[in-house]
Amino acid sequence: MRALVTGANGFLGRHVVGALLARGIEVRALVRPAACLEGLGWPSSVEVFRADLRTSRQLPHAFEGVNVLLHLAAVVTGGEDAQFAGTVVGTERLLDAMASSTCRRLVLCSSFSVYNYSSVLRTLDEDSPLHQTPDLYTRDGYTIAKWWQERVTRRFAEQHGWDLTVLRPGFIWGRNHGYLAALGQQFGRHHLVIGPLTRIPMTHVENCADVFALAAVNERARGQTLNVVDGPGERIWPYLSDYMHGSGQWGWRLPVPYWLASMMVRLAFATVFRTATKVPGILIPRRFESRLKPLRFENRKLRETLGWTPPLDYRRCLVRTYGLATSTGAAER
Amino acid sequence: MKAALIGAGQIARQHLACLKTLPGVDLAAICDLSPATGEAAAERYGIRDWFTDHRAMLERVRPDVVHVTTPPTSHFGLALDAIGAGAHVIVEKPATQTYEELDTLVGRAQGAGCHLIEDYNYLFNQAPQEILRRIESGEFGAVTHVEVLICLDILGPGGFADPNSPHPALALAGGAIADFLPHLASLAYLFVGPYRTAQTVWTKRKPSLLPFDEFRAVVDAERGTAALGFSSSSQPDAFWLRVYGERMQATANLFETRLTFDGPRNAPKPLRSFFNGLEEGKTIRRAAVATLLRKFKGPGAYEGLWELLARTYRALADRSAPPVTASDVLEVNRMVEALKPREQR
Repeated sequence: MRALVTGANGFLGRHVVGALLARGIEVRALVRPAACLEGLGWPSSVEVFRADLRTSRQLPHAFEGVNVLLHLAAVVTGGEDAQFAGTVVGTERLLDAMASSTCRRLVLCSSFSVYNYSSVLRTLDEDSPLHQTPDLYTRDGYTIAKWWQERVTRRFAEQHGWDLTVLRPGFIWGRNHGYLAALGQQFGRHHLVIGPLTRIPMTHVENCADVFALAAVNERARGQTLNVVDGPGERIWPYLSDYMHGSGQWGWRLPVPYWLASMMVRLAFATVFRTATKVPGILIPRRFESRLKPLRFENRKLRETLGWTPPLDYRRCLVRTYGLATSTGAAER
Repeated sequence: MKAALIGAGQIARQHLACLKTLPGVDLAAICDLSPATGEAAAERYGIRDWFTDHRAMLERVRPDVVHVTTPPTSHFGLALDAIGAGAHVIVEKPATQTYEELDTLVGRAQGAGCHLIEDYNYLFNQAPQEILRRIESGEFGAVTHVEVLICLDILGPGGFADPNSPHPALALAGGAIADFLPHLASLAYLFVGPYRTAQTVWTKRKPSLLPFDEFRAVVDAERGTAALGFSSSSQPDAFWLRVYGERMQATANLFETRLTFDGPRNAPKPLRSFFNGLEEGKTIRRAAVATLLRKFKGPGAYEGLWELLARTYRALADRSAPPVTASDVLEVNRMVEALKPREQR
């Protein structure tokens, strides 16, 4: 079995490549033409295919002999248009190429950002409502691009009769990616912790990669949409402690109850920013909610469908991320 | 007035945001090679229809005005088709890759009774318009010289110098800097008129995909001289406009709202610079606040584009001359052609 992995040298992609290899799956890694692959430690069996999804005319060749596509590529930096072009237009071109191949199996890396947090009351799961247009366009560029990427992929899959699995990871964390947007607002080394006891929908990058590799081979994943979190999630305050301890970036932490911060944001929006068109995301109530709203998260459907349990528990994830003892875990190297 | 756009990328967003605010404008259709990009723009801006084939759009929608907001290398063919369909064309700069193409477009537009308007948005920012007002009132005196210098870091990996996907502007003579020549030339043309001769220096200071990253020119024009420049290395980003008149001098940063004047004052000559300095400090502080506030709302540095579009649609509705005429477009592009690197013209 051969898998084509887009975004293969990205934070998640490099771990997915490793997880696929561990399951004995051949990997063709699609990376950008100028991508630096040093330090990834890929064995020579990994076939590297260099192409830019936005412009390459060689994409049909990437699918030669491929049984399953794991589409992880997305642009997460730059302006809204750059993210849309890189993520959505790139997906259109990639799937156009797939349509001319014999590959019929596809695993898409979507995101929790497609959910409309404002409409969720207690527990966010796969049945929770998604954003609707045109309200979607009041959200940030990343959310718009990921929502559209999923929409485009579902349309292609339906049109061509492909077996699609949509995986929606929460916050993916790991080495050099310990700081999460859910932690609140950072001011230099100091943190405004909004809702310190809120749980974070998080998945360690190695656990998340394991789900992708499993979904690529597991028949029961076909046609499914699954949220990917390791469990109910750590609470913000202790996780931030672990982050500060692990990264050595000490600073003050000021806790603010979620309800108070939410009220202040709503008040500021209603009185000052309502007619403004360019406001920092955290000051827009709906974007504020999608980062910080206290909800329950679970991976019941993932566990029941694929029989998956996270290979690494939280303590081991901390060790893999920071390589040292934490406030909540025992010393380990 | 039925409006349609070809190209739904970054600059199209500014056109659409403005058109939504203009009375009597019906956003009829948008076209983009990417179905998702076209559909998303249609949803966001309430555009009735979207297409991936511009000819199908022109035939089915029959727009009165077509905005060409695609990468510059595709402008000529698209604008030609739009004029062929009987539409006025508002085309992003640079309108074409060569002067010959531009000449053809203008000729076709005139033959079809249509207007061809190239987007010289910075001419319509408040600062150049205020300078122009003072010139026309006689307060400024005759303009003798204008300096325009754009300092903009275009060497970052996400834009013109993207190592993964060559930017379309790199196909222009002069590379990415050529994308800015119409801004420089249109401002020079506004203040000192059609060009007579030009001397240019094109250089490359830093390693990158760009053929050039620095540009300077001295232009002799009918009513004065101009010094034009583009710097990829000088920071911070700024768009300096300095106009020298016989009685006053004006300085503006077109990326911000700063505009200061230095001129005669009812004070003893030794105190003139003192009072002018105080006045200038006050103006700069006020502009700093205005620049900060406009970050929250409105078109920001694209204020000129909104003004240009508003004036254009008013003129089209009144059947009067548009704010950018065919003669303006030809003269600006004659200067642009002279500014291009000699070996790539």
